[in-house]
Amino acid sequence: MRTFPNYTMDQTKQEEECGGLCALGPYAKLLLGAMKNSGCKVFKERHFSCEDCSGTVSGGFDAASSQIVLCQNNIHQQSHMNRVVTHELIHSFDHCRAHVDWFNNLRHLACSEIRAANLSGDCSFINEVSRLNFGLKEHHQECVRGRALRSILAVRKISREEAEKIVDEVFDSCFNDHAPFGRIPHSKEDAKFAYRDYMNKDRYYANL
Amino acid sequence: MMRNFNEVVSKPPRVCEDYWTEFRHCKSLRNRFHHYYTYGAMPSCQQWNEDHNNCKQWEMHRSPEAKEALQKSERNRVAEQKNFTPVWQLRQEPPRDWHMPLNQEKPQDS
Repeated sequence: MRTFPNYTMDQTKQEEECGGLCALGPYAKLLLGAMKNSGCKVFKERHFSCEDCSGTVSGGFDAASSQIVLCQNNIHQQSHMNRVVTHELIHSFDHCRAHVDWFNNLRHLACSEIRAANLSGDCSFINEVSRLNFGLKEHHQECVRGRALRSILAVRKISREEAEKIVDEVFDSCFNDHAPFGRIPHSKEDAKFAYRDYMNKDRYYANL
Repeated sequence: MMRNFNEVVSKPPRVCEDYWTEFRHCKSLRNRFHHYYTYGAMPSCQQWNEDHNNCKQWEMHRSPEAKEALQKSERNRVAEQKNFTPVWQLRQEPPRDWHMPLNQEKPQDS
């Protein structure tokens, strides 16, 4: 069972910035920075909850309480935890920067699920192969569609056909919305480049 | 040295080194693989190289053509990132209850 890194006496400024969550990797670091910038600073104690969950669910974002739920009984590896946190932080980020109607608007829900599958590393080639999904050319998009569909069907009582239709409707828009990364981060290296761009954004926009 | 605060000193949007590292990253085998896996095609990387050259010209020779070309290229990139119709409306302010303390109820799984 993975736990959050503990605070140490000689915390770096970066650790302070992340609220002790930097060890979750460059994807999380960027999302935490972007959320802080949008007025939603994330506090470990307030915005994360580790619980036992039913089924095989790894985590979720609860908009009603502004909390990320991590299913401690279903997460057994650090890399998996990092990915779940990234996925849920993307939902939190969407909640923070947009009027997302999680409960009544299926298009909004679908959009955030598409983005989370697209940008979190959920659909990396390696992860797909480990799920025995062997695809190459444009397989990333297929995976994003499939996982968004799964996520929607897990939380809403609608038919598969209806869910597919909604995903199709919003796919182009949401697949191309790469905020706050500015690109689809396929690897930690991509995420580090994205983080570099993010830290440079003031200079960037001032000199266009 | 007296500083003239009215003078706007423009500089490239990124440090020139960043264009070079992006170019190399773009051309890497790993990135080419990821691009094919996502879009079914090879990435186009030459623009990063051009941007790097223009950046150097701007920095070293204050070339107005290089500056113009580089800024145009970057504005293009920004436009490409915005090339979609959002599904939702963006907020003017963060959600009011983001920082509110939790009540007694246990949150549900979403």
